[in-house]
Amino acid sequence: MFPGSEAALMEEGLSSLPTVPADDPLEQLVRRIRAGETDAFELLLRRTEARILALAWRILGDRHLAEDAAQETYLRVFRSLTSFRLGEPFEAWMLRIAVNVCYDLARKRGPRSLPPETLDVLEGDAASMGAEETVLFHQRRALVQRALSSLPHAERAALVLRDLEGLSTEEAARILGVRPVTIRSQVSSARAKIRVFCSRLLNTPHGGRP
Amino acid sequence: MTLHVLDQLPLWVEGDLGTSEQAAVEGHLAGCPACRVAAEQLKTSQVWLREALASPFNASDQDRLRRKVLDQIRAEAAVKPSRRLAARGGLLTACAASLLIATLVWRQGGRHEDSPTAVGPPPAPPVAARPTLEPPPVGHGLTTPSTRLQTRATPIQESASPPTGGPTRIEFQTTDPTIRIIWLAQSGPLPDTHQTSEEKS
Repeated sequence: MFPGSEAALMEEGLSSLPTVPADDPLEQLVRRIRAGETDAFELLLRRTEARILALAWRILGDRHLAEDAAQETYLRVFRSLTSFRLGEPFEAWMLRIAVNVCYDLARKRGPRSLPPETLDVLEGDAASMGAEETVLFHQRRALVQRALSSLPHAERAALVLRDLEGLSTEEAARILGVRPVTIRSQVSSARAKIRVFCSRLLNTPHGGRP
Repeated sequence: MTLHVLDQLPLWVEGDLGTSEQAAVEGHLAGCPACRVAAEQLKTSQVWLREALASPFNASDQDRLRRKVLDQIRAEAAVKPSRRLAARGGLLTACAASLLIATLVWRQGGRHEDSPTAVGPPPAPPVAARPTLEPPPVGHGLTTPSTRLQTRATPIQESASPPTGGPTRIEFQTTDPTIRIIWLAQSGPLPDTHQTSEEKS
């Protein structure tokens, strides 16, 4: 069922991922898929799709591109599932593929401006707020989006994995194929830049209230 | 002079410093209003970051993605086995053809053993030809030389058994209908070889 492995895709990390317990539910699914149960892939999707979509959107900043990235990620996962080493955390392996897909798509897209979907997203979230609060909410999110779009890809990916995906510095380093000290440096730089952007609003009379 | 901790704040804010460094920064913040303001701004900007990057995807988005992925994967899974079988069949045919051609070439070459231009090991003496009746060692890869010796040892029987007519015609039809491989194999001894044998006798 599976074509030739894309082992090169997995060689970007500097070290292997830490071992996980044998009863990792995702690994059980992987074993079933490898045994030919294509339907088990649907369960894998259900368990991981929300995270992959969110990760792609946070890295790319574009909703449609993120959907394309998520789709491509799962296709690559399926095609290269034979190269996954059992015993390693499957989700981290998949996140690494997703990050690589996002990098590929970001390279194809080239430099980008403020993500166009920012205001669309705000409409639903701000529906229950008062007028003044809604305006502030819009401003905050637009500001953060603008700050994120100004970050280099590597800093943005490190920030997303560390602060939004909740991974440790070491886990983020393994996924991005860099040393932990690099992640610390990138995350520190990214946080400082976002603070500078946010300070514009924080220094106004209405600012400072998250 | 007070050493500010502004450079350490981005790591301090998420607890990325070591225990002693973390404590040192907090100690400094207690007595430095400027750094304290910066620290508060960092805390707030981190809250805004998480607020701004809450996932915008809902269940229907996920359903749509799942449908697309599964459709494509099922299509791939359905196509690939047949492709693999076709490729395997083609490979087997090619191997069989190669083996057949190699056998025919070898048989032709075996009849040139007396020719000075023949390539291969020197002809074995009659005594050396006897061991060819023993089975070759399994998995040693000497099957072809052994068989070659056997043929050399019984040239008369070999020349009597194959048909003495014209050349054998073998045709292979490739997957490209416009390309056909035709192999003509002469099973009888070549004229010059025959002459050399007569001259020797």
